[in-house]
Amino acid sequence: MLSRIAESMFWIGRYVERAEDTARLLQTHLRLIIEETAAHEVDACRNLLALMNVDHVEDPTLTDVLRVLGYDPAEPTSIYFSYASARDNARRAREVIPLDLWECINTTWHQLPTTPFGPSGAHVFLNWARERSAMFAGISRGIMVRDDGWQFMSMGRSLEQADMTSRLVASASLTHGSTQWPAVLRGCGGHDAFLRTYRGLYTDREAAEFLIVDARFPRSIMHGLVAAADSLQRVAQNNPLTAVHAAPALRSLGQLRARLEYADLDDLLGNLNHEMSVVQDVCAQVALAVSTSYFAAAESPAWTTEGTR
Amino acid sequence: MADVLSGYRTGEAFDEMIDAEGSVRPSYQAVYSALSRSSSDDLRMIAESLANNYTQAGVTFDVGGVERPFPLDLVPRVIASPEWEIIEAGVAQRVRALEAFLSDIYSDARVISDGVIPSQLVTSSTHFHRAVWGIQPSNGVRIHVAGVDLIRNPDGDVRVLEDNVRVPSGVSYVMTNRNAMVMAMPEAFANQRIRPVAGYPTRLLTALRKAAPSGVEEPTVVVLTPGVYNSAYFEHTLLARTMGVELVEGRDLECRRGKVFMRTTAGLQRVDVIYRRVDDEFLDPVHFRSDSMLGVPGLVNAARTGGVTLANAIGNGVADDKLIYTYVPDLIKYYLREDAILPNVDTWRLEDDQAREEVLDRLAELVVKPVDGSGGKGIVIGPRATKTELDTLRHRVTEDPRGWIAQPVVQLSTVPTLIEDCLEPRHVDLRPFAVNSGDDVWVLPGGLTRVALPAGELVVNSSQGGGSKDTWVLSPPVHRLSNHRHSIEPSDEADDQPKPQTDVPLTVAKIPIAVTPKIVETQRQQQDQQQQTRPWSCGC
Repeated sequence: MLSRIAESMFWIGRYVERAEDTARLLQTHLRLIIEETAAHEVDACRNLLALMNVDHVEDPTLTDVLRVLGYDPAEPTSIYFSYASARDNARRAREVIPLDLWECINTTWHQLPTTPFGPSGAHVFLNWARERSAMFAGISRGIMVRDDGWQFMSMGRSLEQADMTSRLVASASLTHGSTQWPAVLRGCGGHDAFLRTYRGLYTDREAAEFLIVDARFPRSIMHGLVAAADSLQRVAQNNPLTAVHAAPALRSLGQLRARLEYADLDDLLGNLNHEMSVVQDVCAQVALAVSTSYFAAAESPAWTTEGTR
Repeated sequence: MADVLSGYRTGEAFDEMIDAEGSVRPSYQAVYSALSRSSSDDLRMIAESLANNYTQAGVTFDVGGVERPFPLDLVPRVIASPEWEIIEAGVAQRVRALEAFLSDIYSDARVISDGVIPSQLVTSSTHFHRAVWGIQPSNGVRIHVAGVDLIRNPDGDVRVLEDNVRVPSGVSYVMTNRNAMVMAMPEAFANQRIRPVAGYPTRLLTALRKAAPSGVEEPTVVVLTPGVYNSAYFEHTLLARTMGVELVEGRDLECRRGKVFMRTTAGLQRVDVIYRRVDDEFLDPVHFRSDSMLGVPGLVNAARTGGVTLANAIGNGVADDKLIYTYVPDLIKYYLREDAILPNVDTWRLEDDQAREEVLDRLAELVVKPVDGSGGKGIVIGPRATKTELDTLRHRVTEDPRGWIAQPVVQLSTVPTLIEDCLEPRHVDLRPFAVNSGDDVWVLPGGLTRVALPAGELVVNSSQGGGSKDTWVLSPPVHRLSNHRHSIEPSDEADDQPKPQTDVPLTVAKIPIAVTPKIVETQRQQQDQQQQTRPWSCGC
């Protein structure tokens, strides 16, 4: 597969996942902010934006949050930007993407909001953003050949999911109070499953355990890491000559998995912010490693090897 | 404001939003200003989004086999914090008194030997079950969940209309109403703190676990439903889901040697606490209706031998009998040595000859209710009844005076309600829910506000064309700090206290969001140019 195409596939996966996760993050916190007093609105909004590494908005309000994470095409953290970029990448990989999937992405792009909206209109948009991602996932799972393109897309999606879940988890500790974890669990769609698993009564500890290390839950960080490593391994198997390139990324993923899996939960909770930024760090490293090994490699040694064969 | 509130005329009833002078009550200021900024189109859109939300989520109730979305009105019912404190204390007091009463009459019945109530009052109640006489619940709790119906009369006093200590329903709507409102009307929540309602399932689960038979360390709790055709089935699923426990039907359970088990793919699994939403009469074909398909044979014996806890206990119906209701202020005095915080609605006991005669004379101006009814069934409202209905009623009351009580027609208080395109006053009641864990009685802040949608209608039951409103209990304005952070035992502090001003340093998220690296501007421009310079080659 062309490196360029592989890269596009990787980014389609990332962007669609990011759109969905941003919608989930926003829905979770919109509700929390609305149910709190307005006195804390600015703090809550600033924390939320900081979580997404946005620091250029002074004294943000709900409207700013909705703009920066929601509908502003110029903000790289917005859902709008994510879906537009997913479509942009899909256009570059148009020939390898099944027609149905392309139409799904393209329709999503056409339906992106053209006018700003306030908190009351937000839920319709955010529900829509999640549904489009679900549709994308369903179509791709249903009809795509499990070739390298699929693997790169899954890899992007899984990495992004681990990264974004870590941000959502960090958001639980950001704001004070005891009602954060249920809201975060609900944001991941995992509240009911969690309650069943832990039979209703739980502490922050169990909630963190569920979202971080329970690989059975598909939005947990662990699940994302396992799935990303899995895709990477498949790519390595399919391309024995470049298998060696997968090693650094696989090593990082494995180390992070071990770190989380064998961590003392109390330590993890005590340093939640730090641990979660480690997750984000590793996700960035892995993405970089994949990029240098498989995408950028097209111009360097790998090209020579292929040429001499 | 000209649009939606201009035609708002309060009647003779107490209006929750507008006082007698025509000004807005303080607790309603925020809602009022949100409403007055909206046009009727805005309101219609909100109403639609509420209805869609409910249809989608399947928040329905069953009327005669048809599933309908539960009508949720967009104007909330607001209760100021000082008033709520009274209601809360009054409801908890009632539950404690009724709990003591039940424990008494199912053992030595001192209340009768002390002459507080006549013995035939208890024994003639259709819900007094001798089968459960002498059963001692493991932590002494029989009323794990209670719903106390309150109304407000034209003088503005809150009064108790009836107690529900058998299987009170409606709490699920309290939770779903809040969810729907936060999404549909976020602006109305601004600038005020409304006490959360989401803590209910955890409270209930904690109470149910505490009620487990003694010696059980990790009790298995289940919710027992009559099945999908029950009108409250939605509520049963919601409670099971939010407590993380199994929802079972009678046929999923079996009793063996005084213990209860559920049939699972992993074999029989012991059940310790059953939150049952099946009526007494259907619960155990061995003791009650032998044709019941909903119950489990042997359940009463299992409860008696301490093999299982039933919540609420069997036989509670005697405490919410409407004739017993007239004695509740006496019971409160007798058991708790306190005066009733919330008074009853004036009620005539029809067994008393003089009272009966007076009532029969004035039948056309009174409300007459069967003592064991619920859901608004069998109620006759004098001023609205036809002559034939009154004659039938007169006959039935004379035949069975124990079966009926009479009350004056109370003009329930009103709240603005969206009818077509305008807001009009509609009558409401309030059902707060109390959970008794044995250690304390906790009252869910708010409760279910039911609203009668037809103009002037006083019966607010959902099976009689009623809707509901989200109920907002405002937090006290005092800002106290709290360090309570854990969710295992939600306390009021954890739930409700204003959060301290945030002091979280923004140390997180050093990791930026990555974006596609290769969209290099020059490359893009070149690609653009290529298309521009060679337009004819498109499609090659």
